[in-house]
Amino acid sequence: MRIPRKLEVWRLGRVSYLEALKLQEKLASDRKMSKIPDTLLSLQHPSTYTLGKRRTDHNLLVPESELKNMGAELYYTQRGGDITFHGPHQAILYPILSLRDIGLGARKYVENLESTMIELAALYGVKADGLRKLETGVWVGERKIGAIGVRISSGITSHGLAFNIDPDLRYYKHIVPCGISDKEVTSLRRETDMVLPDEQVIQDQLVSCFARLFGYSDIIWRNGSSIL
Amino acid sequence: MALRMWASSTANALRLSSVSRPHFSPLSRCFSSVLDGLKYANSHEWVKHEGSVATIGITDHAQDHLGEVVFVDLPDVGGSVTKATGFGAVESVKATSDINSPVSGEIVEVNSKLSETPGLINTSPYEDGWMIKVKPSNASELEALMGAKEYTKFCEEEDASH
Repeated sequence: MRIPRKLEVWRLGRVSYLEALKLQEKLASDRKMSKIPDTLLSLQHPSTYTLGKRRTDHNLLVPESELKNMGAELYYTQRGGDITFHGPHQAILYPILSLRDIGLGARKYVENLESTMIELAALYGVKADGLRKLETGVWVGERKIGAIGVRISSGITSHGLAFNIDPDLRYYKHIVPCGISDKEVTSLRRETDMVLPDEQVIQDQLVSCFARLFGYSDIIWRNGSSIL
Repeated sequence: MALRMWASSTANALRLSSVSRPHFSPLSRCFSSVLDGLKYANSHEWVKHEGSVATIGITDHAQDHLGEVVFVDLPDVGGSVTKATGFGAVESVKATSDINSPVSGEIVEVNSKLSETPGLINTSPYEDGWMIKVKPSNASELEALMGAKEYTKFCEEEDASH
């Protein structure tokens, strides 16, 4: 018997990485204690480089001081995955879900995150794929359009996915993105022939793809300024 | 038991997840292997208690749901673990998953092979893929864990309800 599953979506606009991290920690703790339902943060970051738990900083090609000159921040995190870049015009989703409640393991959860981005790309006529062994993420041919880095603690997820709508791809030149040196990074803008609507529309479509794939039938939308 | 191990390795080879098998007979719905003689936590870790030492790892069900493990983060010998609290993490498919200890105690040995060969957790979750050995501080915690039959049923119910 399927109980209607509830998802609360928070539209946060542009948020600093640190602020989003603190919010996720609080929400994950609340979710673990069943104080809140499954929650999805929909946001963008200012220019930020992040590393995962493996601390693969050999994939950062410039000294940290130079990042500061660029106006970019650097964070070491507990998520899986390698080094990546986040910035304006990149859609980010941070799902704070109880995987036990929805019966998913890490592998299936990440596959669903890939499918979310693949479906969104398809809305714009872009044929993307995932399920690449040892190269988790979403690809258009040999060009990466979506990245994933997740943390699961006591069955509660944090961090999530980043989908390139139209970020400044030059920022990727300062890293070996995701530790993969021979492949390019791309964006929806680059891959589609269609005219893109307002970014908030695309961001909301990404959320809808997520909700549909994960089987949420009851969605509540909340907006930014009142929450933080 | 042999049939279950075969099923498990076939399932792994075909990358089947027990979550996606709704109605199935005659095998148990849970394709993963479960060993007798071990105790199990509901967060899918196992404990093997021999004398004064308890060996801890994650189950076949857990490794199957994680995917290929590429990195293992383990604590140092001499540290302590607390029941139901995280002591380390594994990374698979760009996800780091915390591993919780089923019992409390002092860490007396850590499987150093896992830093070079993290995939042992997938290929040999109950043997070469062991993670830490502890001196349990509280025998009653072991009693409270599930046995093989109970854990098998637990897996089946968990997978069935979705």
